[in-house]
Amino acid sequence: MNAPTLLAINALGIVEHPGLDGNPYLTDADGRPYVPTGEGGVVLGLHLGDSVFGFDADHASPAVSLIHPEQAARHALTAFACLGNRVTVRAGAAAGAVGAVLGKRGEQGRVLAWFPPDVLAQLVPGDVMVVRALGQGSRLPDPIAALGGQLLNVDPAVLPTLSVVIDGAGITAGVRGRVPSKLIGNGIGRPAHQWDLDLQVDATTAAAVGLEGLRLGDLVAVDDLDVRHNAGYRRGWVTVGVVVTTTSPRAGLGPGLMPIMCVPQQVIEVTSAPDDHVGVTAALLAQWGGVR
Amino acid sequence: MTLSTNRNRLLMQILTGEVWPALGDRHAYRTDADGAPFVLPGMGGVTLGVHPGDDATGYAADHLEPGLSIRHREERANMALQFLTCVGNVVTVRTGPVAGAAGRVIGQHAYVLTDFAESDLQQMCTGDQVVVHAYGQGLKLTDHREIVVKNADPDLLDGLGITTGADGRLRVPVAARVPAEAVGAGTGMYSEYANTDLMGAYAGQGEDLSLGLEVLRIGDVVVLEDQDHRYGRGYRPGYTTIGVISTGHCRLFGHGPGPSTLLSGPTSAFDVVDDPGANLSNAFAAMGVSA
Repeated sequence: MNAPTLLAINALGIVEHPGLDGNPYLTDADGRPYVPTGEGGVVLGLHLGDSVFGFDADHASPAVSLIHPEQAARHALTAFACLGNRVTVRAGAAAGAVGAVLGKRGEQGRVLAWFPPDVLAQLVPGDVMVVRALGQGSRLPDPIAALGGQLLNVDPAVLPTLSVVIDGAGITAGVRGRVPSKLIGNGIGRPAHQWDLDLQVDATTAAAVGLEGLRLGDLVAVDDLDVRHNAGYRRGWVTVGVVVTTTSPRAGLGPGLMPIMCVPQQVIEVTSAPDDHVGVTAALLAQWGGVR
Repeated sequence: MTLSTNRNRLLMQILTGEVWPALGDRHAYRTDADGAPFVLPGMGGVTLGVHPGDDATGYAADHLEPGLSIRHREERANMALQFLTCVGNVVTVRTGPVAGAAGRVIGQHAYVLTDFAESDLQQMCTGDQVVVHAYGQGLKLTDHREIVVKNADPDLLDGLGITTGADGRLRVPVAARVPAEAVGAGTGMYSEYANTDLMGAYAGQGEDLSLGLEVLRIGDVVVLEDQDHRYGRGYRPGYTTIGVISTGHCRLFGHGPGPSTLLSGPTSAFDVVDDPGANLSNAFAAMGVSA
């Protein structure tokens, strides 16, 4: 893997409370008002493997949202937390429990921390956690790195447990679907190290691009998308990410995809399994976080 | 056929703003698509030498905002200024050596962007106060109910040669056609605010980044294919959006020359025709600049 020595940091994350403006309504893509539910904080009843189209919610995640009250620290927390990082509850009813980072969300920044259901049931907004952040700066093997291929947002130690095999000069990736870059909405033009990419699909349009079975935790590949220095269109580059939220009723938004890898097309073989793909599961997150 | 609208029901609101400075931070650099650092002008302040009809790309610039970049100091008043101002609205200068000069809005970009005669711009600076004659939000095309109008001065659509065709569709001359692959930052935002950055227009950079949009000019009317901007902005097969290029060259990746949204609706409601003259410069010549 030719990995440089990665630096781990303990970063403070606070469980977010959802926020709304004085007007409770947002506007969906057809101009209808709706009250956003499930966006941020502690969301119950949602699990890895659930359909992203199965709930009347807005960008809900099966993991709790962590923030930091200082915006600059919040950006850093978001930037440095990576898929698979251990998260430890430091205070509150669940103090001492562990989970793992599932993903992150953009703009102001949020880290999505997964916990086993019995721990999640004890968590409340304001609970303090420690994210052992490690992974940014990890390298792909030399032949791929020499072509510019990069990892991001992932602890490289968890990759061998996913449907992604890095073997010398080549990568094989098993994904739920492979889609064109024009599906990427919010997140395009933004720094992918601290901002997820929304897939612009809903229950009525997903079948046309092979994502009708899209589930939380799935891996998805996007063609002609380069996320190394902001996310943007570049022919011949493939980005692979993990689905971390449900869809959203708003125009230009959709299920959130956190990129973990961006490589030239010629080094990656992508296999789509629209019906029986397995991506990030609760069992894997428990293993990565060290849940006993 | 001339457009039938509800313009007689619309009111003009007088708003104020000021020329906002260009901003930086102590880190100075941003990075381009290839990871190369740059420090380049473009956003904020008074940007000289670029007007509707001029090339949008090919400058040593990032997020090029032609002419004046205008905000209001108070946050809620600023949102009103950004949301209510329409492309084609008249802006007059209140302070400084060219007080009384008039220009027209070319678009939004989290600033209201306004074109003035170059001789006026040469004498203007950050902090100059302006009045915006906001007029147009709420405009409806009474013969085209499926199409939602955004950010358009009621005189602008006629000035751009937009008409009701013999077949009943809205006939829109455009200078360029933009594929959905080009749509960058701005997706997911409300279409009354800022604009939609177009990728594939990185003049001087790699061929693998190009979608042929380096030819865009400031003020070009463009069609965005498979984009629904009626309530927000997003990819949606079967929908068409018409915009006008209000910003120019970008180096920041995922960004680029951007259209402010004017019209959006089902593709079947539009008859889009190619016309290199579909540019704000021609519309403004027809409209004049007096309030």
